[in-house]
Amino acid sequence: MKSRQIKIIILLSILALSAGITPAVSAMHIMEGYLPPRYVVAWGILCIPFLAAGYFSLKKTLQRQRKTLTILAMAGAYMFLLSSLKIPSVTGSCSHMTGSGLGALLFGPSTVGILGIIVLLFQAILLAHGGITTLGANTFSMAIAGPFAAYAVYRICRKLKVNKKVCYFLAALVGDLFTYCVTSMQLAIAFPSETGGVSASFLKFLAVFAPTQIPLAVIEGLLTVITMIALETYAKNELSYLGFDVGVKINVKE
Amino acid sequence: MKIVKDGIRGSNNMFGHTHDEHFSIDCFAYKSKMNHWNPTYKVFLALVTIIMCLVLNNLFVSLFVIMAMTYLIVVKSGLNMREYISVMSIPFTFLLLATLAVGFDFSRHPAGEINMDLGYFYLITSKRSLLEMFRLFIRSYAAVSALQMMTLTTSSSEIISVLKKMHVPVIVIEMMNMIYRYIFILLELNNKMKKSAHARLGYCDFRTACYSFGSIAGNILVVSLKKAETYYNAMEARCYDGEYSFLQENKKTEGVHIAGASVFVAFLLIIWFATK
Repeated sequence: MKSRQIKIIILLSILALSAGITPAVSAMHIMEGYLPPRYVVAWGILCIPFLAAGYFSLKKTLQRQRKTLTILAMAGAYMFLLSSLKIPSVTGSCSHMTGSGLGALLFGPSTVGILGIIVLLFQAILLAHGGITTLGANTFSMAIAGPFAAYAVYRICRKLKVNKKVCYFLAALVGDLFTYCVTSMQLAIAFPSETGGVSASFLKFLAVFAPTQIPLAVIEGLLTVITMIALETYAKNELSYLGFDVGVKINVKE
Repeated sequence: MKIVKDGIRGSNNMFGHTHDEHFSIDCFAYKSKMNHWNPTYKVFLALVTIIMCLVLNNLFVSLFVIMAMTYLIVVKSGLNMREYISVMSIPFTFLLLATLAVGFDFSRHPAGEINMDLGYFYLITSKRSLLEMFRLFIRSYAAVSALQMMTLTTSSSEIISVLKKMHVPVIVIEMMNMIYRYIFILLELNNKMKKSAHARLGYCDFRTACYSFGSIAGNILVVSLKKAETYYNAMEARCYDGEYSFLQENKKTEGVHIAGASVFVAFLLIIWFATK
């Protein structure tokens, strides 16, 4: 074999290996103790306005209609379940959905923010994914940036009268990809490359996560479409209960 | 209980994790011999340790933390070494891959101390960044050990009660209490649906598997909304007034534990001063 061929084989095996051990990167959680104290505090503070907005909207909803309490709690448990479900993948590795796209479509982005931080805390406690000090950074990428991007894409696509299924697909896809970009950015800011600084490091993290994240985002998009079709077929009432098509987050009327 | 057992048995493989793992971590907390320690004490011990790992950022401090936490979990809490390794294998793989990305750089030119030609670009690194990578790995691993010490010995409901003492808003606490309970209900539901999908060849190929996944996810949402309504009615019938109050064991903080923690923190500071 020529040396070039050997190199190609090495490269391919690295790719295959990284796809094989997908669980490690698929969920995109930043692990406990990974970020320096400065960034722990910075990302935590950045989350506060979003969480406060989520908290107040939650409080208002509950004052208006107490019944939503159990529904919202179920929504949180459902988000946790979605993120721990093993999704079908070709390589036989186990990968997880982030569920943030679907969550944002169903429950609205600001609600997902406040539920997201609880879900992330439980993931750290029960699944050893993520951590306490990195909770701020993880919340920002997975429970704030991703859902808001997904929701924005969904609203824009609906305005442009794009086919509904395409809307769902694009929303989940963009939500996932945006989460992945934000996490890469967070890592790049904390660990700038020696030779090229933050931007080089950002590209590096993007490249490292790309082989697992891009196919995953596509699969998540497809699964979101299938789930939404299933819901539209069998659960029209429940969807309108969640205020789905009206665009109101959760608005229960007796 | 059967599911819990399956979870532990299923987590024997070192790499790759089973998806009943969450059952096992919670189950270990109840079985732990440190379960009777004061939960607030355990949570604060873990938090202080994590913060010290991060702020001191010292290799030897982190190594000492790893040893101390392993001692606490394996000896004091009585967790089987093999089970401990299987629990730690998840964060271990996570960390390994994430730190590898920090240690190495890609470049079009051989600009680093050590370069590996990969055809179109170079994989470059230097002794400094390798060392940095190693330190980061150990620091993170130490912090994860401290977190695991907390989660493997303290049940989630106790952790929530500590948060309540720290004056986290009541609504959030209520949500956490409910979400924690509902998670198990939904997981059981999911297990049942998956089993019946399997029995009907729902996972025979990729296309069908995707379809089954979507149907299960949709179905669980429908069922969970129905359940939410039932639970609300049940709670109302029992005079729910916006706050759960659970009967909790009063676990006193023992003097020995406080002394132990102070010695531990002092020791970390001494190590830090000695190796600064």
